[in-house]
Amino acid sequence: MRLVGLILGLVLVFPVFPLGRWQAFTLDTAQFAFIVTVLALSWDLLARTGQLSLAQGAFFGLGAYAAGLSAPALGTIGGLLLGAAVAALSSLLLGLATLRLQGIYFAIATLAFSEVMRTLVLKAEFTGGATGLPVAPAFGGSWVLGGYYLAAAVLVLGVLTSLWVGRSRLSYAQAAARQGEAVARVLGVAVVRVKLLSFLLSSALAGLAGGVYAMKTLFLSPYDAFGLGRAVEALVIPIFGGLYTTLGPLLGGLLLVALETWLRLEIKDGYLVVYGLILILAILFMPKGLVGLWRARGKTAKEDRNA
Amino acid sequence: MELLLQTLLNGVLAAGVYALVASGLALAVGVVGIVNFAHGEFLMIGAFVSYLLFAARGIDPLVSLGVAAVAVFLVGAISYYGLIRPVLSAPELNQMLLTFGLSVLLQNLALLLFGADTRVVSPPYQGATLSLGGLSFGVVPFAAFGLSLLILLGLYWFLGRTRLGFAVRAVAQNRLAPGLLGIETQQVYLLAFGLSAALAGIAGVMLSVMLYASPTVGFAYTLKAFAIVVMAGLGNLRGVLWAALALAMAEALVSTYVPGGGGWVEAVFFLVIFAVLTWRSWRRT
Repeated sequence: MRLVGLILGLVLVFPVFPLGRWQAFTLDTAQFAFIVTVLALSWDLLARTGQLSLAQGAFFGLGAYAAGLSAPALGTIGGLLLGAAVAALSSLLLGLATLRLQGIYFAIATLAFSEVMRTLVLKAEFTGGATGLPVAPAFGGSWVLGGYYLAAAVLVLGVLTSLWVGRSRLSYAQAAARQGEAVARVLGVAVVRVKLLSFLLSSALAGLAGGVYAMKTLFLSPYDAFGLGRAVEALVIPIFGGLYTTLGPLLGGLLLVALETWLRLEIKDGYLVVYGLILILAILFMPKGLVGLWRARGKTAKEDRNA
Repeated sequence: MELLLQTLLNGVLAAGVYALVASGLALAVGVVGIVNFAHGEFLMIGAFVSYLLFAARGIDPLVSLGVAAVAVFLVGAISYYGLIRPVLSAPELNQMLLTFGLSVLLQNLALLLFGADTRVVSPPYQGATLSLGGLSFGVVPFAAFGLSLLILLGLYWFLGRTRLGFAVRAVAQNRLAPGLLGIETQQVYLLAFGLSAALAGIAGVMLSVMLYASPTVGFAYTLKAFAIVVMAGLGNLRGVLWAALALAMAEALVSTYVPGGGGWVEAVFFLVIFAVLTWRSWRRT
């Protein structure tokens, strides 16, 4: 908890650090890291109910395209909100159809959903299709650090949402739905409603992150915005950092994106190999992630509740 | 009328390979109880085995079928032994994440080794066509269809007539009782998962001739196989045949009759999944 505050404090004062000619690069990387971390936090929100979403990349892409297309008319903030709304609406449709069934069906449907969304964007006219879509920078580009602080603000929002959900009554319902759906139903937890609410929150946050991403890269293509890479990052980071926590995705996101940036400079395609490897190793040997290693030394009552 | 018949014929021919891939997935889901997101990557490995043998030695894909089946069976067995077995009793979320991780790993490993190019295996008979009463079809798709049917018949014979097949079905029905009756459950899992992978690998060899080999070729087949398995009901092996036929027909019809249908074909499997799941979820409540 204190560590979360410390990291957020560092994020806010980071641009002041005198990094000389590295400053532009580090700020750009940090901005990307914040966006991906929000995506990871959003994935974890749903994972707390035991559901595996492979569509986080699709919500990210939907948010990015909706924000990019509407920002000229609605302004930066309006565009971002619309992006989040579009992502949330599509998750509602997907969730209504699939969240009543076993987790397997949901995972399959989300994977298929993300594939189809990419096909649709690729085929549609108004999205620019395969050519891509140019996007205006945040706040008309008039403020140099505008993009950075926009990403930082969304990161703070994501962290606060994750903390708030973790401390609310919803977290108990989520844990019950995850650990034993039948028991949770008997205890009077409206399991489907809990899952649906978590899915809505999760996808809205992912859509928001996508909008900020669009205004950072200034150019969207279906392969980039809807790529499977986003969905992979979104789930590997929380697992590596520590599932069902706020600190885990935050720490994991900043670490793994730094690693990813370095890898992308070394090898172009195929950097996702490392993500696949981390995912497998973490599931087999470190199912509680970095945070779990940390906490193994001093078990607290809170961890018992979250476990 | 001729166009319709031709379309239906294309659909039937495509259904063979679909049924082969989906039967493998149904085995993994039904017997081992693992939702294998890396199923398409086993197919991809089969396709690359065929390509490498053909490019290096000019070995005919028909021969590669056997080599790939054995090689991918081993890959599946090793994956089961090293990765799947440790998580058999873990939560479902962990199992799915693990196979998804394997999929990402294999796909990108292939990308690092071979690059993103598509490679086609082109034996001399690749472009040969047969015509029958005004309808024409390629020799290769026809042979692939026939081979798929033969292999599936073999699979049904194995499951329905041999002692080992009985053991596989027993384990699929109940996890505990077969062990008490003296069936080595672990070995049955190993066999079923290896077979599941081998079926995908064989399909991969066929696709290396009909389509191409590339690191991402398997991904679409994972999704299509899931669509078929979901339509048939998880683990229902006989339903897979009809479901594969339905999906292939739907795709053939869309590609012929929907204007600009080429890209929309890739959305058909999602509509199938979505419709089936919606139907299932409202029937249950």
